[in-house]
Amino acid sequence: MHLIRDVLDKKMVDREHCDMGRVCGLVMHVGESSQPRITHILIGGPTVWMRLHPALGRLSTRLAGMWGPRREGAVKIPWSRVETIGRDVKLDVEARDTGALDWEIWIAKHIIERIPGGGSEEAE
Amino acid sequence: MKKILQITLGIVTSIGGFLEIGSVMTAAQAGAEFGYQLLWALLLGTLCLIFLVEMSGRLAAVSRHTVVDAMRERFGFPFFFIVLVGIVLVAFMVLVAELGGIAYGMQILTGIGFPWWAIPISLTVWLLMWKGSFSLIENGASLLGLVTISFMVAAIRLRPEWSSVGSAMLPSMPHGDKARYGFLAVSILGASISPYLMYFYSSGAIEEKWDRTYLPINRFIAGFGMTFGGVLSMAVLIVAALALRPQGIQLDTFPQAALMLTTALPKYGFYFFALSMVFACFGAALEISLAIAYFFAQGFGWNWSQNLKPSKNARFAFVYTLIILLAGIPLVLGIDPIKVTMMSMALTSATLPIAIVPFLFLMNDPIFLGKHRNGWISNSVVAIVIVISFVLALISIPLEIAGA
Amino acid sequence: MRAKRFAIVPILLTLACKQPTPAEQMDSIVSWLGTAGMAGDAWLRHTTPDKYTRQTLELSSQRLQEISGELLKAPPAKIDTAILDATLTRSRAHIARMARLVDERNSPGFRRELDSLRIQQKVVRQIADGVESAK
Repeated sequence: MHLIRDVLDKKMVDREHCDMGRVCGLVMHVGESSQPRITHILIGGPTVWMRLHPALGRLSTRLAGMWGPRREGAVKIPWSRVETIGRDVKLDVEARDTGALDWEIWIAKHIIERIPGGGSEEAE
Repeated sequence: MKKILQITLGIVTSIGGFLEIGSVMTAAQAGAEFGYQLLWALLLGTLCLIFLVEMSGRLAAVSRHTVVDAMRERFGFPFFFIVLVGIVLVAFMVLVAELGGIAYGMQILTGIGFPWWAIPISLTVWLLMWKGSFSLIENGASLLGLVTISFMVAAIRLRPEWSSVGSAMLPSMPHGDKARYGFLAVSILGASISPYLMYFYSSGAIEEKWDRTYLPINRFIAGFGMTFGGVLSMAVLIVAALALRPQGIQLDTFPQAALMLTTALPKYGFYFFALSMVFACFGAALEISLAIAYFFAQGFGWNWSQNLKPSKNARFAFVYTLIILLAGIPLVLGIDPIKVTMMSMALTSATLPIAIVPFLFLMNDPIFLGKHRNGWISNSVVAIVIVISFVLALISIPLEIAGA
Repeated sequence: MRAKRFAIVPILLTLACKQPTPAEQMDSIVSWLGTAGMAGDAWLRHTTPDKYTRQTLELSSQRLQEISGELLKAPPAKIDTAILDATLTRSRAHIARMARLVDERNSPGFRRELDSLRIQQKVVRQIADGVESAK
């Protein structure tokens, strides 16, 4: 598997085929005597901005702490939850439980639903 | 039946994407100042666009990826970010110009100055995005945009010398200000080859759930739809050449352009022009707003679909709400949309290489397209477009200064 | 090197703010006279609404005043500035009267003013052709 070609920046979907965002980063464990292995997928603004420049990553982290769902640190999904890698990366998780949709839910509740006709994020 | 009805996707893309304030004003200025001499630029722009639109539809149908999806996956975030900044910045300026086109249309109809129309028009565009489905936007805009056929009727009624029109399809040396001629050629190409059209078209193909069985339909839409738009643009140029040029009128302001159809269509020509601008710019404003929102949502992997309630794709809805709100502000402040239009055309030329180079790589990638990769004809046309757009990028800014 | 890069900005701004040539100013004058004439023709044929016609005539008059003011400060050689000034003054007067007559819906009076404007337009065109050929 080519990690950069097949995994990084690919779209992720959960058990229900709900969009979860894109693979922003990968955590690799490099042991002294073992082969390097991927342990987690990272999702979130600070991770992706860090790829442009570390200063942007730090700024993104600071802003995320002041406004929005105020999550500490990036969303980390264990690599063991990856079911298949094809057109999308399919994960054996519920998107809502992972924190990947925190911003989506926050914007829906605090902005969109306050505008008439916006609907309800939780309604089917 | 569904496939036949979906041909309207091409019609709205061509009318909304081709005839808008940029293409009308550049074609009209070209006709008023140089007669038929710049028809070749419209022909070249139309030809390029046919290939680019067909490619973006093919990418969507075969790979089930939009252009933006594929670009992010293939090139990664840092490169995607550069494209995002360039394309979105220019697309935003074009959106301001389109809202201004609607506002100007309302100004000449009612006599009420365009800044007063900025807020109601922005609200109307936003409301249609907020409540409407993709097919409502698609079909509604295409039906309303049919009023632009009045340009074609006017061009025929003015009885141009068709042999002169035909010979102008080949480039020739200008009789007059060369800098101005070059600038208008650049602007026409920039107005015709709009990257946001590719993003909108491929997103629409995914919204409509295209697959490989749609490839022949895709070719038909790209060929017929874009040709329809190109012919309408040529009609605008011909009308300006025959109606305005003999009077010595150079189009510095929008109200002057409103006189274009009054000679050929004495009874309702003025109203056809105003309504053409209102509806064509309305369709374009919807397209561009969607294209920008699609760019963000697809690039960052958010939920996106015009067919979902806003709360179900909150970030997507937030983006288009924000950009429409922001785009109305320059108009409220009285900034002339024509000046924004001309500047955005030149900047479109400058950013074309950023949009088209990665697209060429994508269209030759076997992972995305398999056996449906580009052939040598498509690659050649795109390569020529890249060269032309690169040259345009180099010369457009100095020409804008010398010629504008 | 950084300083040189930033120097391009004032250079571009200077170029952007360059004054139009007398020939370009004459072309603009011909254009605005043509606009007033065409708007007048369209109104007489009941093709355009009153408000639009009046606003376009007022805009034409305003632009003519601005451009002719600039042109006459530094007129091109070999043209009679007195004739040009008088022609443009008469043109603006005709356009102003046309704008008032739109409100009064006085078509015969409007037609007379438009015919007079056309005569001034011909004179200006001849002057413009002279400036063009002297380039």
